[in-house]
Amino acid sequence: MSSASFEIAANVLIPGRAAGAALVLTDTLSFWGGFDPQTGEIIDVHHPQYRQRVGGSILIIPESRGSAGTPGGIAETLRNGSGPRAFVLGERDVNISVGALVANRLYDLSIPVLEIATQAMSEIEYGDHIEIDLDGTISVNPRAG
Amino acid sequence: MAALQLNRLDQDRLDGKLGKAMQFAMETIVSAAHVDQVNELVDISFAHIDACFYNGRAHLDFVNYMLDHGATLAVPSWTNNGLVSLNDLSLRDPLASREMNEARQLMQAYVRLGCNPVWTCAPYQLPDRPRLGEHIVGSESNAVSFYNSVIGARSNKYGDYLDVCAAITGRVPFSKLHRDEARAAELLFDVSAIPAAIRANDLFYHLLGHVIGRKCGHRVPAIAGLPDSCNEDDLKAISAAGSSSGSVPLFHAIGITPEAGTLEMAFQGKRARQTIQIKFEDLRQARDELGRNSDRPLAGIALGTPHFSYSEFQRLVELLNGRSAAPGLNCYLTTSRHVYQQAQEQGWTGLLEQAGFRIITDTCTYFSPAINGLRGKIMTNSAKWAYYAPGMLPVEAVIGSLGECVESAVNGRVMLDQWERA
Repeated sequence: MSSASFEIAANVLIPGRAAGAALVLTDTLSFWGGFDPQTGEIIDVHHPQYRQRVGGSILIIPESRGSAGTPGGIAETLRNGSGPRAFVLGERDVNISVGALVANRLYDLSIPVLEIATQAMSEIEYGDHIEIDLDGTISVNPRAG
Repeated sequence: MAALQLNRLDQDRLDGKLGKAMQFAMETIVSAAHVDQVNELVDISFAHIDACFYNGRAHLDFVNYMLDHGATLAVPSWTNNGLVSLNDLSLRDPLASREMNEARQLMQAYVRLGCNPVWTCAPYQLPDRPRLGEHIVGSESNAVSFYNSVIGARSNKYGDYLDVCAAITGRVPFSKLHRDEARAAELLFDVSAIPAAIRANDLFYHLLGHVIGRKCGHRVPAIAGLPDSCNEDDLKAISAAGSSSGSVPLFHAIGITPEAGTLEMAFQGKRARQTIQIKFEDLRQARDELGRNSDRPLAGIALGTPHFSYSEFQRLVELLNGRSAAPGLNCYLTTSRHVYQQAQEQGWTGLLEQAGFRIITDTCTYFSPAINGLRGKIMTNSAKWAYYAPGMLPVEAVIGSLGECVESAVNGRVMLDQWERA
């Protein structure tokens, strides 16, 4: 892959601005049971990114899984500062969106949630520098080397 | 896409004319409609609320914001299990940690908001349940599946906060399982090759649910070949097991559930694109996945996930037939306050307590923190319990029928029927 920077036009589910390094999850995740909202750590032993912490990242994730508890897990990790700076999803996930919306409202945050095409997801790699604008433009600056 | 259609009341809610709590709730509903890409909302008649189950301080902040800004509920709203039991605070002690104390405060906050405090994951076992075709909000996965499949009420699987916002506004996006076309079966599971004696056993339905959850993906399954003896406890087992190993918010049982009088009805006139024959080997494999019996001693029994029904109480008392659990075993049974009272009126709760069963209401045993004594090898009649508990508690699970659980409890060691070894 070329190391030139590029842009992705995303669909905005929850608007906001953010910048940070990409953390790419290669499988769906339940934010209740599979995730510790106090530490931001993935605790699902079957998950490929088990033990990774999502704090401060731009979290690239296909979608959440299963539980009704996902919005609560999202809101709690955003409340206590252990959560990501933005969510970039492969599906229009209502549970992640509602969790971010509620945290934004209660704690005066502006954590964006975006949806991009599967093809675009595969172009983002771990550690790439990501900037997200209000209109959903994602600027990707590939990690050096 | 066309803009979301809002009626005048919706617009007033959104504009803040009915207060800040209503405005926040309506903004959340509108946002969910945007995510779901629908341009219509629909009225609901009932909500089953999961946000009363504690998962961090944010849960408490959310309901307190709603209470502080004048929220009221637009529809009858019943509570799911809590993390603690308000009936028996010693199980997960609020004095022992900030989390358990906040979990208790959270449950009390939902009572103040106006919820009917039934504290159960099996609200469909209580009187006045929704009817065929009603739009409702379900959140707890087994209840969503049961309401959709067995009652024919219509609900998507709503997550925390959206359930409460729907209860406050009385509105949800008119999407997915609220619409006729999304309710058509898409693949068929045929169980008629399974021996009749096995299909008559309650464990069969847990294992079948587990298999269906594993195999159906996002498709709506239909099941053919269930026996006439199939009852609501059996359908509850499919609902819970399928929603643990996979995501099955709606299934049809041909000739049994209300939208599946015939195969044609279930598939809405289309043909099944795929038929999967369930074999005995699939059930055996499901049983192995849910926990192989190890050499460790049996430490306890966990029944009632989802909450025990009246008929399950009756069956348990019959199976025990005056016998007691072996000394030293931790035997737990979870149920709702309502069913507990029904069982108490029959004298069954007293009998079971004398037989060594501790009966718990308002909560469940499969999640952390472990209630007193729950560690080691635990036998359960529930695929859901067996699926989740080993990930959250210091336990290993063995699944068996209710009859096998009773014989194991009485003998103090795992006793399995012949059919499993066949």
